[in-house]
Amino acid sequence: MEFHPPVGMTMAEAAGFLSEALTVRQRPERGRERSYYDTFDGLLHSEGLELVFEAGDLVLADHGSGSARARASLPRPRRPLLVSSLTPGELRGALDEVVGVRALLSLARVHCRERAIDVIDDERKTVVRLTLSAPAVLVPDGSTEVLPPRLVVEGLRGYDDELAHVCGVLRDRLFFTDAAQSLADEAVLASGGTPGGVSSKAVVALDGEQSAASAVTAVLRAQLEIIEANLAGALADIDTEFLHDFRVAVRRTRAVQREAKDVFAPEGLARFRAEFRWLQQVTGAARDMDVYLLGFEVLRALIAAPLRVDLDPLLAVLHTRHRRAHTAMNRALRSERATSLPDAWRAFLIALEAGDGGPAATLPIAEVVGRRIRTVYRQMVRMGSAIDADTAPEDYHELRKKGKELRYLLELFGTPLYPAEVVKPLVKTLKALQDVLGRHQDREVQAATLRSLQDEVARAPGGVAALVAIGALIQRLAEDEQAARAQFKGHFAPFAAGDQRRLVKETFR
Amino acid sequence: MGKTSAAVNLAALAARAGARTLLWDLDPQGGATYLFRVKPKVRGGAGKLLTRATAAASVIKATDEPGLDLLPADFSYRHMDLALDEFKRPTRRLARVLAPLLHDYEYVFLDCPPSISLVSESVFETAHALLVPVVPATLSSRTLAQLDGVLDDGPTLLPFFSMVDRRRRLHRQVMDELRAQRTDLLEAAIPQSAEVERMGLERESLSAFAPRGRAALAYAALWDEVRARVG
Repeated sequence: MEFHPPVGMTMAEAAGFLSEALTVRQRPERGRERSYYDTFDGLLHSEGLELVFEAGDLVLADHGSGSARARASLPRPRRPLLVSSLTPGELRGALDEVVGVRALLSLARVHCRERAIDVIDDERKTVVRLTLSAPAVLVPDGSTEVLPPRLVVEGLRGYDDELAHVCGVLRDRLFFTDAAQSLADEAVLASGGTPGGVSSKAVVALDGEQSAASAVTAVLRAQLEIIEANLAGALADIDTEFLHDFRVAVRRTRAVQREAKDVFAPEGLARFRAEFRWLQQVTGAARDMDVYLLGFEVLRALIAAPLRVDLDPLLAVLHTRHRRAHTAMNRALRSERATSLPDAWRAFLIALEAGDGGPAATLPIAEVVGRRIRTVYRQMVRMGSAIDADTAPEDYHELRKKGKELRYLLELFGTPLYPAEVVKPLVKTLKALQDVLGRHQDREVQAATLRSLQDEVARAPGGVAALVAIGALIQRLAEDEQAARAQFKGHFAPFAAGDQRRLVKETFR
Repeated sequence: MGKTSAAVNLAALAARAGARTLLWDLDPQGGATYLFRVKPKVRGGAGKLLTRATAAASVIKATDEPGLDLLPADFSYRHMDLALDEFKRPTRRLARVLAPLLHDYEYVFLDCPPSISLVSESVFETAHALLVPVVPATLSSRTLAQLDGVLDDGPTLLPFFSMVDRRRRLHRQVMDELRAQRTDLLEAAIPQSAEVERMGLERESLSAFAPRGRAALAYAALWDEVRARVG
């Protein structure tokens, strides 16, 4: 439990009042400096965790109780911290589970003058622990911002009555108020950040009767916010998820442009469809290289152990390609064409909302997207039913692309507008189907990329051995592609099952 | 003998190393309870605790040592033998009382009453290891031999020298003789020390008020050895 003393009361005054109102033992004051870390999207925060660097220790603790779950000693991180860069151990394991590939960013640095105060009984036994502090945030520009003093109250097992008494005294006699935010959240806010992080999963609340123009505008604005929020991280390559989330938002935007095309003014839409297609194209190679490097060790493990080390020249080539792809992407994203796009797109959306739309702009949104969800689902069922063992890889790919359309329609419009008991199972079977289609496509693309890199790898030291290892890898990828093909029917069947077809037909009208 | 002092100091060391630790003061004199300044009161007394009418979890008190909780003693513990005797398998009773707590704690220390009784036999049946402070006196080897007889295939016996005064020839002589006879004696020996006596005044573990003293360092060495033996 955390409290604030009445507004204007200093830490010393608060300590004085506490001594008068309770039987306490005051400990000496000390200074502490803490830095709070989390991912851009607040993964630790959403799990009720805090990552704090203090005096050479990085500590993962529970947000409420502050009790430590894991810790490691290390120098103060100078850059965003990747879990993979930590020494293997308890902390790395615990973080990896929650954070994965996301970088841990320093969100706030806090200096506190702090005094521990024990509330004691007649045996001089501690029955409640208090920590009174005067925190100040060290803002990146070098200045400090003083935060209100704070009192943390910690109950001890077996002393519940004493805890209740202390809280009563604080609230009723000393007029302390319950702190609405944790110190970490307050500090992040004071540092200009967003407590809890910036989510890329923005679901916009919609009403089925709302006009298609206003609903589509709201959804697209949220996507534009995600694009803008992730741009800096993608350019700096802080972690691979910035670019990933950037591209997902671009793809969602394109899906809405395509699936709700009659909502937009046709001449303006054509321009923006071209611009967002370009945005996706110029970021594609960098993302492909990210995925390749992220999954490289998994790929390596596909071939026989003695050959694995021979893939090192390939890894070096991939790193070079990765660097080049990111350089090219950054040049494109910093160009006038890219930097002027958000404002132009925003203006287009404002005009759409103001009435400058297409023939479907004034229809209820449920009518526009319901029909599309049903149609795309039906198309997928038809395409999937035609797939057999001899089908060309392109047909699998086409079905996967259609699946993405449906996924975005369901995420952006299905969840807010339709009953969860219909949407959730549909998304679940779709995800399972997309996973197997994705694996099929990934293996196809990975094998093609490997073939395209063979000449370059051959010229590198150790190139000949690498070519042999690449050959083995291509073989394994082809086998895995076949395995994905063999699993296709099993995943398609629940997606296209009669019950689900009936539900889709009845729900999305 | 240094039994309560060992229980208190080793439990405090375990907790300070980050392990959630419980100390159950089973001695009706309540030495450990007194040392941690906890009031010697168990709601419903020993009887209700043993029948589990009172859940052990509900009478646990946090000590001032972070991570160390205490199941306090109560004056009713002087009749614990009689209360245990009411049960069909009396020596398994303590284990049943403790069972619901075990997932909360990495270590549970049981501070026994200073005699061989139904309570201490129950402790032998419950514990994985039995730490026995041995004062280097002529009767010590006899006491240990007696314990060997009682324990049979019970917990691991971990005897250690306590209240050692190396200036006394008798102490040195007994220690040498016993070490020659028994290989299970731990290396660390707790010295006779004013610091240990001061625990009664300070009412804290040695780690809290004299962490760098001779006795505290001896307990730290003892704890390292115990941990290595019991894991």
